[in-house]
Amino acid sequence: MDTTTLAPAVATEEALHWQRLHPATPLIRTWTSLTAGLVALVWIFTDIGDPAETMSTAGDYLAWVVLGAAAIVLVLAGYMYVAWRMMSYAVDDEAAHMRSGVLFRTKRHAQLDRIQAIDIRQPVLARLSGLAELTLEVAGGADSQVKIGFLREAEAQRLRAELLAKAAGIKLAPAGSTTSPQPGAALAQSGETGFAQGQAPSSDGDAPGTAPATRARTPLVAPEAPEQEILVVPPGRLIGSALLSVGIALTVLFMLAMIVVAVFEPGALFTMVPAVLGAGTVVYGRFAAEFNFRMAISPDGIRVRRGLLETRAQTIPPGRIQAVQISQGPLWRRLDWWRVRVTVAGYAQEDASNQSQSVLLPVGSRAEAYAALSLVLPDLGTPDPLAVLDAGLTGRSDKKTGESVDAFTPNPRRTRIIHWFTWSRGGFAVTDRALLIRDGRWYRYLQVVPHERTQSLCVKQGPLYRWLRIANFVAHVPAGPVAPVLGGVDQDVAQRLIEEQAARARAARATDRSERWMQARAPEEPAPVPPPEPTAPEHGSGGTVA
Amino acid sequence: MTAPARDHAALFSPEGVEIRQVSARLITSRLINNGVWTLLLFAPGVVLTVLHSPWWLLLAVPPLVIGLWIALLVPRQVRAIGYAERDDDLLVRKGILFRSLVVVPYGRMQYVDVSAGPLDRRLGIATVQLHTASAGTDATIPGLPPAEAERLRDRLTARGEARLAGL
Repeated sequence: MDTTTLAPAVATEEALHWQRLHPATPLIRTWTSLTAGLVALVWIFTDIGDPAETMSTAGDYLAWVVLGAAAIVLVLAGYMYVAWRMMSYAVDDEAAHMRSGVLFRTKRHAQLDRIQAIDIRQPVLARLSGLAELTLEVAGGADSQVKIGFLREAEAQRLRAELLAKAAGIKLAPAGSTTSPQPGAALAQSGETGFAQGQAPSSDGDAPGTAPATRARTPLVAPEAPEQEILVVPPGRLIGSALLSVGIALTVLFMLAMIVVAVFEPGALFTMVPAVLGAGTVVYGRFAAEFNFRMAISPDGIRVRRGLLETRAQTIPPGRIQAVQISQGPLWRRLDWWRVRVTVAGYAQEDASNQSQSVLLPVGSRAEAYAALSLVLPDLGTPDPLAVLDAGLTGRSDKKTGESVDAFTPNPRRTRIIHWFTWSRGGFAVTDRALLIRDGRWYRYLQVVPHERTQSLCVKQGPLYRWLRIANFVAHVPAGPVAPVLGGVDQDVAQRLIEEQAARARAARATDRSERWMQARAPEEPAPVPPPEPTAPEHGSGGTVA
Repeated sequence: MTAPARDHAALFSPEGVEIRQVSARLITSRLINNGVWTLLLFAPGVVLTVLHSPWWLLLAVPPLVIGLWIALLVPRQVRAIGYAERDDDLLVRKGILFRSLVVVPYGRMQYVDVSAGPLDRRLGIATVQLHTASAGTDATIPGLPPAEAERLRDRLTARGEARLAGL
């Protein structure tokens, strides 16, 4: 914190220090389509007719093919060179900039304090050649992320550390000096006090040793934040969890039935092909995306690493997780396995197809799920978090009376007219830090929404609900896997809940300082001035305009 | 006000909050809209009835009935729309049969839209819509006089900036 030089707020494009990407970038970006094109061409040219007919002109023909191929390669190489020349990135204290495009120039920039997550992605080819791509997620709707890549791996990591440090509000020491203060050591320690930490089987990793090693390899301007590994998902369990789904079980049943049929009618075996292919694709897709899943905590936030062929290292800074959902399908119940998914603004848009990006824990024991949740919310804001969470995962209201038997406020028994099977699960609990919603009888889930993260609140009531004196309570969070809806809460409770939640969210927002999280948590610095409170005349002016 | 019973109304009209109604010109706007659509859907059936056979009335009558039904509902629907600016959030209420109440904190606002179609401009009303980072936030206030719409927009923007929070 010795240098306090601030760059001018808005740097002009020329003033930025533009840097080139790795020259192989265009090739890595396009190699799949190039290969497809190549295969198509080879196929066309080798299939031109029967050899006897073309024998006489074979030499000529070959020459033309070679010439044509050379021309295509030259043109492509030229284009790639030009494309590479046009790509560059720059980072200043306020934003990361990226420009690209030959005919249509695009220039994008991501405001550092608006970055929701930083992913380092390595597709197969990039992995082989030691390159990586940085994806900065900003909450700007579809296709809003800024992709910087490809870079050398070390360079990508250095850039990530720099971006995270700047986003965290740390003033970086001048280049060359590696004596920057260890900004987040205190936080890394505090991470250990997560409420369920003691239960996590692998929480006492010796990860702190890894951080100095990485620093020694590359002299960093921004020190890579020390990280501590929380857990690893073994591949066996991952496969098991993918196979233990209702879809797969039905597929297996279908296949068994077909095998029986095939005894009499062998043709029936062919009907299995699409079923096997479909199920295989699903299982493989999950396995490939979530293979070697590792979760770690660092002052920069939560680190997730995963992937079989294409690997991804995600970093989600503190306060960027908008909501958490812990869920369990019926076949996982016996094993007490749970899946944890999170909503991060910006992830939903990119990840519409396989949703693996929003997974915080693909499959894990209850204790591991709690450990994952404790990374998001180190303090659940209740004296007995484990009891509350247990109630959230498996608790139900009293079957006879519908009365609450735990920390949750259950939906009234009369909702059973609508929710035949799940009524006893439906309920909510409020702690000092978060709203918890539980529901689902066979597919159980628990949703956790930190108060400071709710966007807006809503109550809805249709005629049937009005007759039953119940309502739907909705907490709006950014698009993602978690949609917190409390279906069928007593209307008087709903009325109180929406008022209280609005107040709690307001209070929580006032103290939330995750925008520049290091500034906020650095102990020697007083918390930055909260957003200016309204001036007196503005207060209570709800209806001044007649 | 329009609620059938007191206890239901309580859920949608929080205590100590004066809910403001939107302009009655929204009724005119919606009636005209509804009328145009009804005519468009009604006309073909009538033409075919005249030209071919009375059976085509089966096609013409449903849109007319539905159109008239909606026309009956419109005034009540419009009167059910209300909003209130509180110190820290905006309330938007709507619906009679299917009611909803949205609470949008000013600090959560990403941007505010003010829009008005040709008919609405002629009638002198506009729509204000608040957007948060969640697509689920449905905070649309139709039928505001342009001056009120602008005042609301400026006010919301000012309050939003004062209480600006990230995501």
